[in-house]
Amino acid sequence: MGRLTVFACQALSIAAALLGWEAAVRGGVVDPLFVPAPSAVLGVLAGTVPETLPRLGDTLVKTFLGYALAVCVGVPAGLVLGSRPAAHAVAMPYVVALYGIPKILILPWIALIFGIGLSTAALSAAVFAIFPVVVLVAAGTRDVDPALVTVAVSMGANRVQIARKILLPAVLPSVLTAMRVAVVFALLGALLAEMLAGNRGIGFQMQRTALAFRAPELFAITAIVSVLSISVVLFLEHLNRRLGRWR
Amino acid sequence: MTTPAPISVEGVSKRYETPSGPVPAVEGVSLTVRPREFVSLLGPSGCGKSTVLGMIGGLVRPDSGRILIDGEPVMGPNPKKVALVFQDAGLFPWRTALDNVGFGLELLGVPTARRREIALGLLEPMGLKGFEAKYPRELSGGMRQRVAIARALALDTPILLMDEPFGALDEQTRLLMGEWLVGVRRRTERTIVFVTHSLHEAIALSDRIAVMTARPGRIKDVIEVPLPYPRALDETAAVDLHAKLWAQVREESLRAMEGQS
Amino acid sequence: MRVWCWRAAVLLAALLLWEGAARMLNPILYVGPSRLPSALGRVLATRDLPPLSGHVWLTLGEITAAYALAVAGGLWVGFLLGLRKTLGRIYEPLLAALYAVPSVVWYPSLMLFLGLGPASKIAFGVLLGFFPVTLSVLAGIRQVPDTLVVVAVSMGAGRWTLFRKVMLPAMASTMVGGLRSGLALSVVGVLVGELLGARAGLGYVINYAYGLMMTAEYAALVVLVAAAVLLLDGVGSVIEGRVKRWAG
Repeated sequence: MGRLTVFACQALSIAAALLGWEAAVRGGVVDPLFVPAPSAVLGVLAGTVPETLPRLGDTLVKTFLGYALAVCVGVPAGLVLGSRPAAHAVAMPYVVALYGIPKILILPWIALIFGIGLSTAALSAAVFAIFPVVVLVAAGTRDVDPALVTVAVSMGANRVQIARKILLPAVLPSVLTAMRVAVVFALLGALLAEMLAGNRGIGFQMQRTALAFRAPELFAITAIVSVLSISVVLFLEHLNRRLGRWR
Repeated sequence: MTTPAPISVEGVSKRYETPSGPVPAVEGVSLTVRPREFVSLLGPSGCGKSTVLGMIGGLVRPDSGRILIDGEPVMGPNPKKVALVFQDAGLFPWRTALDNVGFGLELLGVPTARRREIALGLLEPMGLKGFEAKYPRELSGGMRQRVAIARALALDTPILLMDEPFGALDEQTRLLMGEWLVGVRRRTERTIVFVTHSLHEAIALSDRIAVMTARPGRIKDVIEVPLPYPRALDETAAVDLHAKLWAQVREESLRAMEGQS
Repeated sequence: MRVWCWRAAVLLAALLLWEGAARMLNPILYVGPSRLPSALGRVLATRDLPPLSGHVWLTLGEITAAYALAVAGGLWVGFLLGLRKTLGRIYEPLLAALYAVPSVVWYPSLMLFLGLGPASKIAFGVLLGFFPVTLSVLAGIRQVPDTLVVVAVSMGAGRWTLFRKVMLPAMASTMVGGLRSGLALSVVGVLVGELLGARAGLGYVINYAYGLMMTAEYAALVVLVAAAVLLLDGVGSVIEGRVKRWAG
């Protein structure tokens, strides 16, 4: 199947789903109070934008702050753990264990200490994002082909040269992947914090509209956030492909 | 005083520690390589020939005995005198062919323009003109090995050590690469130590063949190959030599196989 | 041996640091480890807190339902898209796009549609747990070496035999990883759902404690739940190891 045909099928499927949904609501199969018709959602879409956009910006700021923190701490930590087998053996079980604990459990505690607002959400974003960063960077560092280091040593490279010319470029793809994955986790953390204990961002707005049974509005916001998230991820993947020509 | 031999291996031994105890890889190996000579180390898998090469290259330290390069004991890698080529080409995947070839020069601080000049000068006679900007991923196995060899040649060392460089290639490519290597050698006059388990390769390329025993590796015999280049492997002299070599190597190969069961 | 000593040392150091910080800063807010055992006792004896057992059973029930549905759905969609190549080409990118959205985005809609009861928690758990299962099925199918299939077909294997005796064992390692992730995520989904808005369940109890500023009890509950989750994942890990050893 050609690319165009695939694309057409995808578009048709989505259109069919939307039409079916619309029909279901109009036909009374689902209660429009809980599940709004796509047409209703579209209707309020324009109306929600003025309120949604600044809130989105707020959430993104928190996401970015948490993300930056996670990357600045997580990447060096991953590099250290990956390059020192001793440290790796000792610390990794803890990292994996902490990674496995549902981080939402400590969100109330963070909210209690840092209050409702930016710090909590940013910290939450950081907590969610740091674990995949450390795990991925450590794995990438461990995976560096030792044969490449041997080649460099046989040509008389000293430790600094090995680090700069071999280890760094070899580890870069893993670091970039980790940074890419972390974005979604950071956003997740920020949204969760806002839903649990927020008063401004998108997460808070979504909770509010849900509890107020303003279904079309909620779906509209959900759609906006989804589209944004998908775009960001697609963009990052595109960047990843362009930068990683040699792989 | 006569000039010292380029490579003098004197009674080296090496043991490896394994979970099931120490395993002797090489025992009491001695070998002298003459200037501009092509010596093959031939033997069954596991006989320690790669270990010997690693010791000459300064990557592995012998437990006993010593190795002299031009009369000086080997203390570690010596990029001014010794260059290595490995079976796995070991090209840096994030560097183009050109940048791979220039790597050793980069370490020595050679300026960019000069590096490029040298690298292109090496890649062209190898038939890789036009491929210098390609990444290893975009090159075939044979091309990658040629780039790896070019990278070793770039250091312009008098000694070249090659560890089964054509081992991962298919038969046809191997034969072609062998012919090409003979040509390179005649042009550059380097001393080459070549590890292989292929009798054909050893006969086609070498001035002398050092046959190694199964583990623990010792030099069983050193056979001269006084045939003129280029060599046709169906000539009588070559066939006789092949038979003689095989008699030696077969014994060791069987011993190696039994040792593994 | 030495590694274990170091690990224990790290844990001890962390606990001491935590205790010290808690005492210095604000013992009410920062619960030091020393307060945990007594808090645990209070929680289990259900003093000041609603009795746990009902909530625990509810949460466990929600998790079981969510995981069962996630696995069923995930396997079905995974095999559908993986074995029918045209369907896969069309719908797999759509699936990947959905995966790019932080899952919590769907929860308010689920709450609206299904209410604050167990249904929304189960639905969210299904949503979260579904993806790892599907993705691992797709990946598993892709990594079955063609040679294995060719050998079996050349020996006369029919479609069903091929599937049962060649593809499933070849996929087992990859799939079991997805099943394990799916479990972990279903658990997270249910817990998140309960924490964000529920009237019952473990998450609700945790929220209750936190709402009343009963930090010690809250911490004890968190430790309990965390330990339970880790235990569950540990079991999953052992099973995964067994399957991987068998599948090769």
